[in-house]
Amino acid sequence: MSISQLPTEAPASAPRQDGGGQRNQTRSLLKLGHWWWAVPGVLLVLAMHYAATGVGASFAFTNWTGIGSFQWIGLRNFERIFSDPTKILALRNTLILAFASVLLSNVAGMVLAMGLNRILKTRYILRTLFFMPVVLSPLATSYIWKFIFQLNGPLNSVLSAVGLDSLVRPWLADPSWALWAVLLVVVWQNIGFAMVIYMSGLAAVPLEVEEAAAIDGANLWQRIWHVTIPALRPAIAIATTLGIVNGLRIFDQILALTGGGPANATSTLATEVYKQAFSLGNFGYGAALALLLTVIILVFAVIQQRATQGPSEA
Amino acid sequence: MTQHQRLAARLGGVAALPLVIALAACSSSSSGDTAGGGSTGAGTEFTLTYAKSNTIESPFEVLAKQYMAANPGVTIKLDAKPNDTYGDSVRTQLQAGNAADVLETEGGSGQSRSIVPLAKANFLEPLGDAAAKTIPSGSEALFQVDGKTYGQPLGISYAGLVYNTTAATAAGVTTPAKSFDEVKAACSKVAGAGGGKSLYVLAGSTVPNAGITSLIISATRVYAQDPDWNTKRTSNQTTFAGTQGWKDTLQAILDMKQAGCFQQGAEGAGFDAITNNMAQGTSVAFFGPLGSASELQKAAPTQKFVAEAFPPAASGGKAFGIASATYSLSINAASKQKSAANAFLSWLADPAQADVFAKASGGLPISGLDKMDLSTTIYADVADILKKGDFTALPNSGWKNSAVYDALGTGVQGLLTGQNTVDSVLKSMDTAWDQ
Repeated sequence: MSISQLPTEAPASAPRQDGGGQRNQTRSLLKLGHWWWAVPGVLLVLAMHYAATGVGASFAFTNWTGIGSFQWIGLRNFERIFSDPTKILALRNTLILAFASVLLSNVAGMVLAMGLNRILKTRYILRTLFFMPVVLSPLATSYIWKFIFQLNGPLNSVLSAVGLDSLVRPWLADPSWALWAVLLVVVWQNIGFAMVIYMSGLAAVPLEVEEAAAIDGANLWQRIWHVTIPALRPAIAIATTLGIVNGLRIFDQILALTGGGPANATSTLATEVYKQAFSLGNFGYGAALALLLTVIILVFAVIQQRATQGPSEA
Repeated sequence: MTQHQRLAARLGGVAALPLVIALAACSSSSSGDTAGGGSTGAGTEFTLTYAKSNTIESPFEVLAKQYMAANPGVTIKLDAKPNDTYGDSVRTQLQAGNAADVLETEGGSGQSRSIVPLAKANFLEPLGDAAAKTIPSGSEALFQVDGKTYGQPLGISYAGLVYNTTAATAAGVTTPAKSFDEVKAACSKVAGAGGGKSLYVLAGSTVPNAGITSLIISATRVYAQDPDWNTKRTSNQTTFAGTQGWKDTLQAILDMKQAGCFQQGAEGAGFDAITNNMAQGTSVAFFGPLGSASELQKAAPTQKFVAEAFPPAASGGKAFGIASATYSLSINAASKQKSAANAFLSWLADPAQADVFAKASGGLPISGLDKMDLSTTIYADVADILKKGDFTALPNSGWKNSAVYDALGTGVQGLLTGQNTVDSVLKSMDTAWDQ
């Protein structure tokens, strides 16, 4: 009885299907209004993100110089990219910088997050200090680091003061060291960001499981490897995805520190896109490089997402 | 969400939309303010855009003010842009249709502000005979396309050694070197004296300075023997890699590095190294446009800066320099103030204005150079070269595209670090030409 009553009662008391024609019309308009009102925003996103990017990407198949007329040349720009040793070097540098910066900043960030998670009294001040580089302008900090790395700058002065004269060199103009100097600046700036992500992840790690593991005789390293890190998996996923996507696009630091030099030793796809499209007036070629970089970023972002999802979330 | 909340959100969304549109319109119209111009009541107004590297008054500003004083009904709106991104900004504005009426350009096709590509893309207005007459003979191809003139140069810039005679004397170099061997001897002497001194200072990490150093040296190794080399390269009768003169040019840079001519860390130095070393007298000279001598003079009034020529390979070889018609002005083809702009350019073509511009820019006047008495100016030691016409325009202005000069500049840095060889640099320049 009560069961058969329910269906008839429910519509009677539900405000949605009740009311006269006018009220019904207003309701349905408001209902339609939900997606109707999203249309301007959707159009804006389509125009700005997808249409504009698509038009820019289509120039990759032309020989446009940035002004005047152009012709469609198919895949010739891409053939040029893969037959030019400087572009292959740029691709190599892009991948090295991206993966090394992700690895180093995440490992260091995780270590810092674990260290500053609980016990230390000064942890709040230390957290702020470690996070500060993140909010500074990459360009401004790069110029300061450029001064530090100068031949007569502070780094070399310190090295010669402690008697390590053999290590004194123009760091940013040395083809074997320039890329690592750039990597250092990038990692220095990004450690704080990874640290913050891991700190929020660590806050969700259940203390009881860790204590149980400690009671069962697990040492520090075993607790970290078997309890903390698996629990941090979502944070690792976020941090590494952001890290890889941003790492593949590093631009400001390279341009400010070395300009892509010495002699293209630190050039990456991002700096080559700028140089070809805007400085040298090869817009079509630059667009092809940009398209290649976009595809690489997409590929790695997808792979990385799959890799960090893991069986526990399947 | 309650009905009230939904209504508030809808109103908020409606209010936000015009704000977004207004912000987008504001950012595009602020750059459009400098375009076109229009009549301000009784007078005419047009815009003039030019590149600026520092806060010192630009020669364009000096002349614009004089013109406005002489023509009370005319207003010139000045739009200074940063020098390093000037070409990119102007190209973007020309594409968008909101560029100034009168633009500073450079002759040739080797830079983003170069006249030939802009004229071919129909962005520039053909100028009259008065403009054509100002072009030095031999440089017509840099300012004209299909017989029509698209730029009016205002000055001649000599590029060579900016030489600090005070520092030279202090370092024991009493007379400027007249042959390459003398250069190397002077280098060793200055470097050997200690104190971190060097004969030359080089900003090896910058394409402009590494490039202009090579071009100045190439004047005596390539263009002295073959002034038409650029034409030959354009018609593919020769290549960089196949020209002994170019090999000698780059080898000279390596030899100079070996002899200690450049300051330590030259391969990684920037423009600040030039300013600091020259102003403090740590280095005696650098390769560059002599217009910078007047700026250095202001920064270091106790030192004396003059123009010197880089000597030929062997003593007795032909002295040759680089002097280009520069600081040219062009008229935007889409301008609505063409008659006013043309009147301004005609006024500028007058020799009196040439003198004013030369003084304000620290360069040489576009007209009357052969009659000028240079003995009391900083160009005293290169007066012969200038009077006899033993100079060529900046070689890269006649090169096919800017990638060639970029290959040269980065290649020279690679030479200094050991990453490149002379042949690999020349080969990369040919590859950039043929792309």
